[in-house]
Amino acid sequence: MDRIVFESVRKVFRHRPALFNWMGQERSGETVALQDVSFCAAEGEVLALLGPNGSGKTTALKLISTILLPDAGSVRVQGFDTARDGRSVRKHVGIAVATERSFFPRLSARENLEFFAALDEVPRAERMARIDAVLGDTGLEEQNDTLVMKFSSGMYQRLGIARALVKRPSVLLLDEPTRSLDAGTTAHFWNTIRALARQQTTVLLTTHNFAEAAMVAERALLLHRGRVLAERAIGPLESAESLRAFYFQMTGEVDETCGALPGAGARR
Amino acid sequence: MTSTLDKMRAILRRDLLTAIRHRSAFLLTIAGVLVELAAFYFLAHAIGPSFRPEGVEYFPFVLVGTGMYTFFLKSAYAFLRTIEEAQQSGTMEVLMTTSTEPAELVILSSISAFAGTLMSLGIYVLAGIVVFRATIDANILSCCLVLVLSTLLAIALGIMVAASQITSQKGSAIVWLLGSGVWFLSGAMFPVSSLPPALTWLSKIVPITYAIDGTREGLLRHKSPLEMGSTLIPLAGFGVVLLVLSLGAFSLSLRRARQNGTLSFY
Repeated sequence: MDRIVFESVRKVFRHRPALFNWMGQERSGETVALQDVSFCAAEGEVLALLGPNGSGKTTALKLISTILLPDAGSVRVQGFDTARDGRSVRKHVGIAVATERSFFPRLSARENLEFFAALDEVPRAERMARIDAVLGDTGLEEQNDTLVMKFSSGMYQRLGIARALVKRPSVLLLDEPTRSLDAGTTAHFWNTIRALARQQTTVLLTTHNFAEAAMVAERALLLHRGRVLAERAIGPLESAESLRAFYFQMTGEVDETCGALPGAGARR
Repeated sequence: MTSTLDKMRAILRRDLLTAIRHRSAFLLTIAGVLVELAAFYFLAHAIGPSFRPEGVEYFPFVLVGTGMYTFFLKSAYAFLRTIEEAQQSGTMEVLMTTSTEPAELVILSSISAFAGTLMSLGIYVLAGIVVFRATIDANILSCCLVLVLSTLLAIALGIMVAASQITSQKGSAIVWLLGSGVWFLSGAMFPVSSLPPALTWLSKIVPITYAIDGTREGLLRHKSPLEMGSTLIPLAGFGVVLLVLSLGAFSLSLRRARQNGTLSFY
């Protein structure tokens, strides 16, 4: 059964200049973030969303998590429509966004997780055990009593992932999840994600890292200028290089690293 | 029900921990209260004992007026700050992806915010009575009734401010309106009967006027609830109607923000 269904989704951001705009340079207009996008993701599937900046990857995740609502078409999670039954959708979805600063700075990591776990209706009896587990999964055991205002950006990102995991969502949305993580934490993190997928969690991740996409995802969706440009099944023999070649071939962008540095394309 | 209580406990704990980790803020608040009351105390002295608005001494009159007015202003600020901080820190979007309904979240947060503002009001009035010897003649039942209805009204105004902050990122405009127009019309500093007839009429459509009048009647003039019908009924009416309207406005503003992608704009 498909757990996430995008059907002809369109999302437009309209810009309205300020009332007294003669002093500024702001222009009115609109940005089409997603245009007629349809795809689905099955139970336990890991789907990677690839695409250049501004291609609509994060918008897609925000639509699934109900942070945004579609202008046309529909987004369904576990059969619930995000526009009509947001609460039911939110019960199933956990999201970790790339630029994580979204915590209460004067609470510790553990206190932040306890707070969000309560709002996510994680049973009190299970809460502490789950928090311990996700702190372990994200390598934050030692910092669990540190106020998050003292965290580095990598630690913020880990805590964001921990928060998304603590509710044990059936749909996990990860927006460039390893962008600020060190190598050891990254490796451990992907093991956790694979284990979650084996337990039938559907994972949608956006990334610019072809090696990670090739290693962890079963399918890649290439978004470009708000549209689905191509789709590719990722088998066990998929490599970062082949995925990279696919990306540049489909988007028509020039892979300048290949010409500039001999063998640079193969380094990833 | 258990889940709601659990969420309330989590919110109260978050706010308490945040407050006690801002150690100096509490002491500064107390100092500010004492300085403000001292100013009003000496103002009352300068005016002299012959000025008795609504039959009571001027210092207790202004103590109740400014105390209640500050209560409403601080409540509105508390709601505004909750939304603004969530938008600025990035928690707004994440809070809106939790399993808790946004309206439930705002109301639960408001309970926490009110614990703080009610405590401030208590300290303010108590300091006026104990330190500056304000004369009171309280009917406890009436005072409690007015406080409950005033809290209802303050929640409604606070949610309205929150909705305005989400829609236009300018919730401060409503707070400004409370801070200037309402200050002038609600009779916080002087009796509204001294205003020209047109402004006296205008003051009657300002809900906070009834909250201030009611507190003065209950706390300074020992009026019973039965004697306060002309104050309590409009206060309750404004509270209920504005609460329904503000919840509707909040829900609408949230939907619009989700549609326009402006949930975390500030």
